[in-house]
Amino acid sequence: MIIDFIQQIFNGLVVGSIYTLIALGLTTIFGILGIAHFAHGSVAMFGGYLAFFLISTLGIGLLPSFILAMACGALLGVVLERVAYYPVRNAPPINSFIIALGLTLIIEKTNLLAFGVDQVIIPTPFNRVFSVGGVTMPELRVYVLLTAAVLVVGMTLLIQRTWIGMAVRAVAQNRSTAALMGINVNSVSMFVFALSSALGVAAGVLIGALFAVAPGVSEGLVVKGFAVLILGGLGSIPGAIVGGMVLGVTEAFAAAFISSGYKDVISFLLMIAVLLVRPEGLMRGKTR
Amino acid sequence: MWKASAVACLVAAAIVFPLIVTVNYFLHLAILALIFVMVAQGANIIQGYTGYVSIAQGAFMGIGAYSSALLSMRLGLPVWASMAIAPIITAVAAVIAGYPSLRVKGHYFAIVTLAMNMVVFIVLVNWISLTKGEPGLPSIPSPEPINLGFVELAFEKRRPYYYLTLVMLLAVMAIVTLIVRSRIGQALQAIRQNEVFAEAAGIACWKYKLFAFVFSASLAGLAGALYAHYMGFINPTPFSADASLNAILAVILGGSGTLTGPLVGGALTVLLPEMLRVAEVYRLIAYGLILILVVIFLPRGLVPAVADLAARLRGNKPGKDVA
Repeated sequence: MIIDFIQQIFNGLVVGSIYTLIALGLTTIFGILGIAHFAHGSVAMFGGYLAFFLISTLGIGLLPSFILAMACGALLGVVLERVAYYPVRNAPPINSFIIALGLTLIIEKTNLLAFGVDQVIIPTPFNRVFSVGGVTMPELRVYVLLTAAVLVVGMTLLIQRTWIGMAVRAVAQNRSTAALMGINVNSVSMFVFALSSALGVAAGVLIGALFAVAPGVSEGLVVKGFAVLILGGLGSIPGAIVGGMVLGVTEAFAAAFISSGYKDVISFLLMIAVLLVRPEGLMRGKTR
Repeated sequence: MWKASAVACLVAAAIVFPLIVTVNYFLHLAILALIFVMVAQGANIIQGYTGYVSIAQGAFMGIGAYSSALLSMRLGLPVWASMAIAPIITAVAAVIAGYPSLRVKGHYFAIVTLAMNMVVFIVLVNWISLTKGEPGLPSIPSPEPINLGFVELAFEKRRPYYYLTLVMLLAVMAIVTLIVRSRIGQALQAIRQNEVFAEAAGIACWKYKLFAFVFSASLAGLAGALYAHYMGFINPTPFSADASLNAILAVILGGSGTLTGPLVGGALTVLLPEMLRVAEVYRLIAYGLILILVVIFLPRGLVPAVADLAARLRGNKPGKDVA
């Protein structure tokens, strides 16, 4: 029983770390621009497909493909910000949401056109299975968890310790004051979109390696990302990390001990409950 | 005067339409468009007038569709009765969903309602003993025929069903117009503009918000019932979050917070993807592009933009109050 318990915590943390990657992008974009970037899930799926293409068709190695895909993701992010979101930066938030929906359609269907309708699994050479005290830990899952952890720590350091990170935090706190202090608000927006989309792509690649990249995955993924945001508090980076883990573990427990068909229902109910009891999120107060 | 004649023309055109157009496929699309306009009009109440973006219209449509279908099939109720009860069941579901979720605002509200939509969808897929899950419910009965003396309306045929939907939609439009022009409508718009001020002015905002949410849901429920008995078959697919997003698009596209906007927007969201079918694979991409362009260049929606243009052509200043 206790082994089962630990096993599910491990499984939950692996999936949760991917949710965290998605949520980190969403939360920074939300913090800076107040945009619910609904197309983030399809950006992630684009990344998964791209990495698959680079690895299987062009025969590039796993790590270079991963990095290349993230770079392309960053570029895509900048394009999205410039072309689609920038023109509506002063309009009501619902407009940028509609833009996000339009983008979702476009990216999703472009994925279909470019990469086909079949689901693809990114091939990895990691087939070993570790067993630690009865808990099964497939090598791949361990690496997914580690990769996600490295990216999350890297992102946090970038935001907390560097000059550009300080600019991002300043814009999140007060856009106009930041502009008055000589921060180029536009470059910050582009930077945030580049960074977030790169992380989203990373999540997409990890999902592709762990489960599969397929049409229709992105919507569920982005909603999970938003669920994490709600759990952790909109705009909060520590919140996204804690929220992602909580969501992943809850789901794993729900799937293992209650019903796998209703696991998403349970995680959404958790989110709704948190929202009603603590609308500011679990981690508010430690934000930014 | 100008406005009244425009409305009369529109209604006349809608009445004549199935007499002129005999291609079954177009009639089918027209019925779907009318049904979806109803959903859009509901979304307009909560989103356009009250300013709360709910992403749950699809779920409420599904609740309406499944309740009506199951009432008529499992309990053997007359279809008319189940179609009348379905919006009530939807309304009850909306009270349960809306009472807690309306305590939060803005993006939070949008995301909670989106999650609710996904919950309803998952339940529809997984509660197989009731809904038969993914494969869906087949052979849902059509409404019982009505004998008008000179003609019998058999609703398993397309043309009578078109008129049924049209009559329902006209009734809905009348009710919505009355609500919007009443004190309730004023209160809703006050909430949209500034909820804190509205509260300070003595409006019990939560009552009005709950009313708007429940009313919009029951319209979606009615539309769902109409859909179920028209198609004769339902599965969970058309009631996913996509349907809710389409309803939001319809409101934005047509012009949010206007009475005629959802008519145009609702019809367009059904017809546009069909019209773009020439280039099958590219049509959804084109659809996405059109959306983005409309939001960037016509942020208030098509109807206010066209009304402004018409006003300018007649030499008036463009007005903001388009009904």
